[in-house]
Amino acid sequence: MDTARYAALFQAEAREHLAELDTALLALEDEGRRGPDGVSTAAQVATLFRGMHTIKGMAGSMGYEAIERLAHALESRCEPLRSGDEALHADLLALLFEGTDVLRGAIDDVARGVATAPAAIAGILVRLRRPVLETPSAETLALPDTTATSSESARVRPSAPADAVNVRHVDIRLTADCPLKGVRAMLVLAKLAPLGQIRGTHPAQTRWQDEAFDGAFRVTVVSDVTDDMLEQAARSAGDVAKVQVRVPALASQVAERLATTGVPEATRTVRIDARRLDTLLDLVGELVLTRDRLLRRIEALDHPDRDVYRAARDAARLVSALQDEVLQSRLLPVGQVFDRFPRLVRDVSRELGKDVAFVMEGREIELDRSLLDAIGDPILHLLRNALDHGIEDVATREAAGKPPRGELVLRAARDRATIVIQVQDDGRGIDRHGVLLRAREHGLVPDDCDGLDDETLLRIIAHPGFSTARRVTSLSGRGVGVDVVNTRVRALGGQLELESIEGVGTVVTLRLPMTLAITRALVVEVAGSTFALPAAHVEEALEYHESLRVHHAARPSVTIHDAVVPLVALGERFGLVRSSTYDASRDAEGRDQHIAVVESGGRRVALLVDALVAQQDIVVKPLDVVRGAAPWFSGATVLGDGSPALIIDVPSIV
Amino acid sequence: MSKTVLICDDAIFMRTMVGDILTQAGFEVVGEAETGVQAVEKYKHLRPDLVTMDIVMPDMGGIDAVREITKHDPQARILMCSAMGQQALVVEAIQAGAKDFVVKPFQPSRVLEAVTRVLAA
Repeated sequence: MDTARYAALFQAEAREHLAELDTALLALEDEGRRGPDGVSTAAQVATLFRGMHTIKGMAGSMGYEAIERLAHALESRCEPLRSGDEALHADLLALLFEGTDVLRGAIDDVARGVATAPAAIAGILVRLRRPVLETPSAETLALPDTTATSSESARVRPSAPADAVNVRHVDIRLTADCPLKGVRAMLVLAKLAPLGQIRGTHPAQTRWQDEAFDGAFRVTVVSDVTDDMLEQAARSAGDVAKVQVRVPALASQVAERLATTGVPEATRTVRIDARRLDTLLDLVGELVLTRDRLLRRIEALDHPDRDVYRAARDAARLVSALQDEVLQSRLLPVGQVFDRFPRLVRDVSRELGKDVAFVMEGREIELDRSLLDAIGDPILHLLRNALDHGIEDVATREAAGKPPRGELVLRAARDRATIVIQVQDDGRGIDRHGVLLRAREHGLVPDDCDGLDDETLLRIIAHPGFSTARRVTSLSGRGVGVDVVNTRVRALGGQLELESIEGVGTVVTLRLPMTLAITRALVVEVAGSTFALPAAHVEEALEYHESLRVHHAARPSVTIHDAVVPLVALGERFGLVRSSTYDASRDAEGRDQHIAVVESGGRRVALLVDALVAQQDIVVKPLDVVRGAAPWFSGATVLGDGSPALIIDVPSIV
Repeated sequence: MSKTVLICDDAIFMRTMVGDILTQAGFEVVGEAETGVQAVEKYKHLRPDLVTMDIVMPDMGGIDAVREITKHDPQARILMCSAMGQQALVVEAIQAGAKDFVVKPFQPSRVLEAVTRVLAA
C-alpha cells in the first residue's frame, strides 16, 4: 500500500471537485431564484453527487477519515434529490454549501498536515444525517426577490477563494418584546440578502416559525461590504436588539494565508506533469555544467576580454538563481508523506493490541519530490517494525516498569545538506545476543565475535538472508524489511543508521540528500581517474604528510585534530593500483598526495587521493548497472570539462 | 409635503385607530378600503406613498391584495397589520411583497417605527 505518491494527486483532484461542487451549488441557487429548470437541475445534482462520491472514494483510499465521513454524509444527503424524492429548497442548499465548506476545510487540514478535529465536523454531520421529515416547498422558503441587485450580485459573485475571505457570521438578537420573531428574522434576512449571498442561517429558516425560536439567530453571508453596512442592514429590519458581525474562524485562516502569499490558493499551485519538472531539472543541470566549463575557459585565458568576462559572470549568476528556483519548485514538505501514517499507526497498533502514542515532528521539512515519493515505503516498514517488534504490549511494559503507553516518534530534520528522518520507539530494543548467535550461524561475524555495536548490528539485520532467517525463529527485535529499507535508502543516495538499547528503545535514522539530482561534490583524482565525493559527507580536505600517520595502529590510520582516523587508499580499494602508497606522501609521478576526511553514520575515514581537483555542483545520473558490479559508486556525473566521473558512495567505504 | 396613506381594514375601529395614529404623526390619509378588491382599485387610483393592509378581509384577502398591488407596482410600500396567531399568513404576505408588519393591538410607537422603516427602505 503505497499511498504516499497519491497524496499530492488527492489534493489536486479533490480541489478540482470542490470547485465543481461550488459551481453546481451556485448554479442550483441561481435556478432557485430564476425558477427551476428540470433538465439543468438534474445535471447539477448529478455533478454534486459525483463530486462527493469521488472525494469520498479518494479519501477512503488515503485513510482521511474525516473527509471520507463528510463526503459520505453529503452524498447521502443528495441522494433523495437525485432520486426525486425531495425537491431542492433553500435550507438544503445552505446545508450543502456549508457542508462543502467544511469539506474544503478538512482537505486544507490534510494539506497543512493538521488533523481535522472531530468536533469541527460533528455539527454538520448531525445536520446532514437528520432525517428529512417533510419537504418544504421551494416557494415557502424562497426569499422574496425584491430587488434586481440581489440576483445581479448573485451572478457576479466573487470566486470561491475570495468568498472564503468575505464570509461573515452576522449574529442577531431581536428585542424581547418583538412580536412574530420568526417573521422579523425573515425581514432581517431580506435586508441582508441584497448585500451579498446568504450561505445559511442558524437555526435554519424552517425553525424560525417554531414557538421555541427566541429571536437569536445567525446569518452566514458572503459579502464584500463592510461589517458596519451588514450591521446597519440587519438593524434596518426593526426590532433588532443586538448585531454582531464577525469573520468565522475558518475564513480568517484562509484570509491570513491569502495575506501572506498575496495570491489566492487556487492560482498558487498548478499541476505540472512530473516529467516536465524532471526534464527542467536535467536541462538546468546541463546548464550548470556548461556554466562551469565556460567560466573555467575564460579564467584560463591570459588576457580575458573584460566585457566577455563580465557577461559570463552575470550569466553564471543567473544560472545559479535559475537552478535554485528549479530545485525549490521540486521541494515538497515531508508532511505530504507523513500524513497517512497516524491512521496507519492507529490501525496497526489496534490490530496488535498495543497502546501507542504516535508523535510526528518536522512535517514542514522539505524534500525533493522524487525522494518524497520514494521514502514512503521505507518509513512504513520502519513504523511497522517498531509497532510489531519494538513496542511491547501493555502487560509487558508494566512488568518492565515502563509507562503502559508506548511512544513512537517520526521525526524529520535538516542536518547540513542532508535530511534526517528518524523512527524512534521506546520499546524493548533489539536482542543483540539473539542476533549475534544467528549472525555466527550465518557466518556474518567471526566466531570469536562476542559483542555487536550498532553498526554491525545494522549490517547484520540489513543482510538480505538474515531477515528471512530471523522471521522463522521467534527472535525479538526487528529485521523484517530492514534489508529492503536499506537497499531503498542507499539507492536514493542516502544511508541508514541504527541505535538500539535493550529495554529502552530503538532509533532508526534515514539520512537523505535534500535533492537527488544536483549535489555539491569534491572532485578528486585517483590513479589517473576522476571521482566525485558528495560534499555532504566531506568534513575536510588536506595535504597528506607522513607525520600524520599513526604507525602503531592495527590498520592504517592518520591523526586528524588529535583523533585517530582510519586511512583508506582509494586507488587500492578501487583496484586501480596494486600496492599501498601509504608510506609515500607522493604519488607515482611525484606529486603531493591529499586526504579527504569523510564521515558517514558517525564514522570517519580519511581517503587518500592523488589530487583535489575542485569543489563543484554535479548532476547525478543513476548508474544502470547491477549494484554488485559497482559497490563503491552511487552514480555517475559529467564534470565541468565534459569528462565523466563516478560518484563515490561514501557509506559503503567507511 | 406630507406622505399619503391608504388604510385597508374591514373594521371601522381599526381604520380609525390607524388613521389617528398616522394623522397625528403628520401623514395624510388619502383613502380607506374595506375589502381587498377595493384596496387594489384605490391603490391604482390614488398611488399612495404607503398602504396599511389587514390580512383578513372580505372578497379578497390582504395577501392577495398585496400580490395584485405589487404586480401593478413593484415599488409599492405595504405594511401588514396582523393579529396575533397569524404568523404563517404574515410570512406569506412578506413573500408576496409586503415590506413590514405590525401586530395588533397597535401601539402607536410601533406603528410609526414600522411606517418609518417602510418609507425609508
